[in-house]
Amino acid sequence: MEIREERRDTVLVLAPLGRVDSNSAGGLETALLGRAKEPRLLVDLSSVEYISSAGLRVFLMLARKVKESGGRLVLCGLGASVRQVFDLAGFSALFAIEPGVDQGVTRLSS
Amino acid sequence: MSGTLPRDGGTSRRLNSLLEVSKALAVQVDLDPLLAVILDKAAEVMEAERSTLFLYDPKENVLRNHVSGELARHAVVVPLGVGISGHVAKTLEPLNVHDAYADPRFNPSFDRDTGFRTRNILCAALLSHDGRLVGVIQLLNKRGNAAFSEDDETLLRAFASIAGVAIDRTRLVAAALESKAIEEGLRLAHDIQMGMLTRRFPKGKFDMHAALEPAKDVGGDFYDVLETDRYIWFTVGDVSGKGPGAALFMAITLTLFRASAAGLEDPSEVLGRMNRALSRDNDRMMFVTVFVARLDRETGQVLYSNGGHNPPYILRADGALENLETSLSPALGAFEEAVYTNAEFALRPGDMAILYTDGVNEAQAKDASFYGIERFEAVLRQLGKNDAESAVTRVVSSVGVFAVGAPPADDLTVLALRVAKD
Repeated sequence: MEIREERRDTVLVLAPLGRVDSNSAGGLETALLGRAKEPRLLVDLSSVEYISSAGLRVFLMLARKVKESGGRLVLCGLGASVRQVFDLAGFSALFAIEPGVDQGVTRLSS
Repeated sequence: MSGTLPRDGGTSRRLNSLLEVSKALAVQVDLDPLLAVILDKAAEVMEAERSTLFLYDPKENVLRNHVSGELARHAVVVPLGVGISGHVAKTLEPLNVHDAYADPRFNPSFDRDTGFRTRNILCAALLSHDGRLVGVIQLLNKRGNAAFSEDDETLLRAFASIAGVAIDRTRLVAAALESKAIEEGLRLAHDIQMGMLTRRFPKGKFDMHAALEPAKDVGGDFYDVLETDRYIWFTVGDVSGKGPGAALFMAITLTLFRASAAGLEDPSEVLGRMNRALSRDNDRMMFVTVFVARLDRETGQVLYSNGGHNPPYILRADGALENLETSLSPALGAFEEAVYTNAEFALRPGDMAILYTDGVNEAQAKDASFYGIERFEAVLRQLGKNDAESAVTRVVSSVGVFAVGAPPADDLTVLALRVAKD
C-alpha cells in the first residue's frame, strides 16, 4: 500500500493511503516496522478510510517495536470510523493519539 | 531466433553435448541444481573459462546474478539496458564482445573485486517457451587465445532456448506446489476451526443457537456454550487476521475459555486469565476480541465481561432493541496487564440476546458497500417471533442475500439466546 513519508523537524511522519484490511496489512506491516527504529514517529491516518482487525494488529506490533527501541510513537488524523475501530477493540487507551499532524509533531517534540 | 548449427570441426561432438544438456535439463525440476547443470554444461559446450547466469526479476525489472564456483558470494543487480547482460536482456539479441575492455558497456568492477580477468564475452538471453525473458547467460573467455566465433553464437542460441524453457518450467512447478501446499494448509486450518465448535445448544426455557459462516480464506471467529447445573456460559470472539495462524489462535483461545470458565466464578476473571495466557510471548501481536457471559438459570441474570468485542444486542419482549453498554477493555493478547470488569443485565421471558462478530456488519456487497449496523438492527427488530435457531438463520441469510456474488471476506458468527415466554 502507498505510504507518504515526510520529515518534520526531528519527527518522521508516515501517512498510509487507502484501506487497511487483511490484503494490505502485510505491506503496511513491512513498511511501518521498517521505520520502527525512528526515535520520533508520527503515523497520520487521515487518508485511511477503513481499518480492519488485521490492520489494528500492525499498529500494536509497531507500538511494541518502537517501545523496544526506546522511541516514541504518536497516531493522528483518525477519522470517525477508524477511531471507532480502535475504541471498540479497547485499544485507544494504549496509544498516544492527537487530532492532527501539527499537534502530533508538537507532542513528539516536547 | 534463426540460424543453423555449425557444421565445421568438432561439430558432432558439440551437438552431442547439446543433446546431453537437453536431456539433463529435461529431468531437473528444482531451480538450484538446474542452474548448476546449466552453468557447468554451458562452460563445457562453449569451451569457456567461466559462465555466469542472471535471472530476470519481473517485479523489479532487473537481473540478479547466479555465478558458478567460488565467485557466488558476489550479489549483483543489473537494471535492464545497463552493461553487457542488461543490454542483451533489453534487446533479447545475443552479443559477442571480442575485447571486453574496449566495450564501453563492459563493467570491470566485477573483475576488480574478484581478480578475474575478462577478455571476451558471449552473452545470450534465456527465454521461456512463449518468448518471455527468463534470464541472461554469459560465457567469459573462450579457451585458448581466440574470441567466441559466429558458430559459438549460434550454438549458444540453441543452448539458451533449451535452458530458458527448463528454468521457466521449474518456476511453474514451484508455484504449483506452493499453491497446493497453501490450499491444503488452509483446508486443515478450516477443519480445525469448524471441528472445535459445539453443535449442541441449550433448549427449553433458555433456547440458544449459533452459526459460524467461514470466510473463503479462513478467519478466526468462534463461539462456545458451557452448561453447568446453575449457569449457562456463552462466548463469541474474533481473532485478528486470517489464515492458518488465525485459526490456530482461535483454537488456543477456545481451549483457554473452556479451561477457565470451568474453574472460575465470574466472566472478568475468565477474560483476565485468558488474556494473560495469550499475551505471553505473543510477538506477532495476534489479538482476539472476546465477549464472555454467564447466565444464571434461576434468576435470568446475565453477568458479562467484554474484551474489545462488538457489544451484543438485546431484543426485549416488547420489541425494544438495546445495544449493550460495555466497558472499553482491550481485546485479549495485546496487553498482559489489561483489567477486565463485569457488568450485568437481566433477561426476562420473551427477551432475546444476540451476539455477533464484525463479519456481519462489515460484509460487503459486490459493489463494495457494507452491510452496516443500520441494516443489521432493522433485521434484528423483526425477530420478535423467532426462536433462537430461526433468528440466527434470518440474520445469516440476510447478510448472504446482501453479499451475493461477493466472496465472504471474513468469518461471520451469530449467537442468539432466547428466554421462553411463561
